[in-house]
Amino acid sequence: MKNVLAVLIPNGSSFRRTEIEVLSAAKRIADELGGAMSATILGSVDPSWNQSCASYGASVVYRVASEALSSYQNDLYTAALQQIQSVAHADLILLPSTTYGMEIVPVFAYRIGASATMDCVGLKGDPSDGSVTITKPVYGGKANSELLAKSGPVVIAMRMRSVVPATAAGERDCNIVDVPLALGATKARTKIVERLSEDTGATKLEDARVIVSGGRGLGGPEAFADLTALAGMLGGTIGASRAACDQGWVPASLQIGQTGKKVAPDLYLAIGISGASQHMVGIAGARHIVAINKDAKAPIFQMAACGVVDDFRSFLPQFTAALREYKAKNQGSTSGQ
Amino acid sequence: MHVVVCIKQILDPELPPADFRLDSKAEQAAAASAAQVISIFDENALEVALQARDNAGGGKITAISIGQPSAIDALRKALSMRVDEAYLLPQDNYPQLDAQATARILAAAVRKLDPVDVVLCGREAGDWHGGLVAGFLAAELDRAYTSLVASCTIERDKLRLRRQTEDGWEIVESATPAVISVTNDGGNLPRIPKVKDNMLAFRKQIPAWQADALGVNAQGVEGANGALEKKGLYIPKVERNCEMIDGENSTEKAQRLVNKLAALQVI
Repeated sequence: MKNVLAVLIPNGSSFRRTEIEVLSAAKRIADELGGAMSATILGSVDPSWNQSCASYGASVVYRVASEALSSYQNDLYTAALQQIQSVAHADLILLPSTTYGMEIVPVFAYRIGASATMDCVGLKGDPSDGSVTITKPVYGGKANSELLAKSGPVVIAMRMRSVVPATAAGERDCNIVDVPLALGATKARTKIVERLSEDTGATKLEDARVIVSGGRGLGGPEAFADLTALAGMLGGTIGASRAACDQGWVPASLQIGQTGKKVAPDLYLAIGISGASQHMVGIAGARHIVAINKDAKAPIFQMAACGVVDDFRSFLPQFTAALREYKAKNQGSTSGQ
Repeated sequence: MHVVVCIKQILDPELPPADFRLDSKAEQAAAASAAQVISIFDENALEVALQARDNAGGGKITAISIGQPSAIDALRKALSMRVDEAYLLPQDNYPQLDAQATARILAAAVRKLDPVDVVLCGREAGDWHGGLVAGFLAAELDRAYTSLVASCTIERDKLRLRRQTEDGWEIVESATPAVISVTNDGGNLPRIPKVKDNMLAFRKQIPAWQADALGVNAQGVEGANGALEKKGLYIPKVERNCEMIDGENSTEKAQRLVNKLAALQVI
């Protein structure tokens, strides 16, 4: 396999880390295989996106211009990608494991007779035979599975926050190939009629530098107010385990783990979270995990950089106070200089 | 209204990591002491179907499962949750069962059960987390597909779906017939069967539909994923030494943790 196609599905107008991760993963595997990386953008975005693709290493950008793709609709997007592939003939097609990416991957792969893997965390190419080893967590993150793909096409959804973003090179040349779309015969069988954002104005979990996260151990929704205050002091945002979301204590959009958000903060403060493996896979990208749990045997301590065994009810007020004092002192010394 | 729910029986994923082992050939998890359960998201799918029927004031729900004879227990549980009918699609019929084959066999069963308004699958199995079968099934049946659905209302000739996105929720209207994949949500926690319903479920027949009955060529059903060679399965090593912050009381521990975080330069 030699030809790698990165497929971007914009959600809004900004070029996010999600896009950078897909391009970075595609470029790396193309380099390993001694092949070339191309890119395509499903949706209507600013033309500067083409240059962004080039600066992350795409030598070709397949450009589609169609009113029908102005907002996401899976039948149309999948048909468009099929038509792009009929021009690109890519061996390896990479998409993000976002809601839209995960919706397109299986239908697209099935239609073109490709093999497919979701939630991939690692790709390794062997230039001698062009094969690719795909790594994917299984059993709720308790094990990793390695799959060997000897020939393409293979369609892969990359897990978000599992790819170290590359640095963009400056302006680079790339070949823009216009792909004419024929979507007249494609029936749009679903329609998004309403978008309900749970955007609280806070930093997105995926981009947060600090996350204060709560689990079943918090015992109810009330404590999340304290976590929110603490997150505010730390310039971060709050998250939760599946248990807390399933109880309805916080919205499901805050869920971190196998089937929730994948995060990569500098500091992940886990409060009352036991550390089920399906949760831990969501925070594998965190730099420092700090756990506060009253059960000294909680599995979270095996993954944490440091831990406190204590009841959060008595610990949290003290911690918040100590932190406030530290902040006041620190800011005081800065302003005094 | 006819709803089909596809369920899979798996080893209980709640087994703690400390007790998790691979089998001797390192091909799959060792069964050991883990119980066999309905895959978590498939239970959410059952709940979504049951709520849709409750809201519609009637209709029929059929559960199907590709599995070993033990999968009868999973189907029995679905019946005790008050699904109307259940069918086992014996896995032993199929020597090569990749995700495409799974979708083709399920599709054959759905066609046999047609007219079906909507087929529900869990978003991914709780063991291999493949996440492909629902989409493959939609492609094979050429029906509308919506993923990561938390709730479903069946209207006259369409579905109204609430589905999860990175930023919150979308309300999606889908034509019928349709296939949807279901994700977990506070609103679709699986109900606990009543004792009376457990008893009734034990009296129900769970027919097995063999490959012949489905019109599936058991030898030739494998798809492209069969070409992905299983190269390895391993338990990743976690080598973190957790520094425990000690103290006489909460105040002391809190102060020490602040000092530690300051040293790490994260506050």
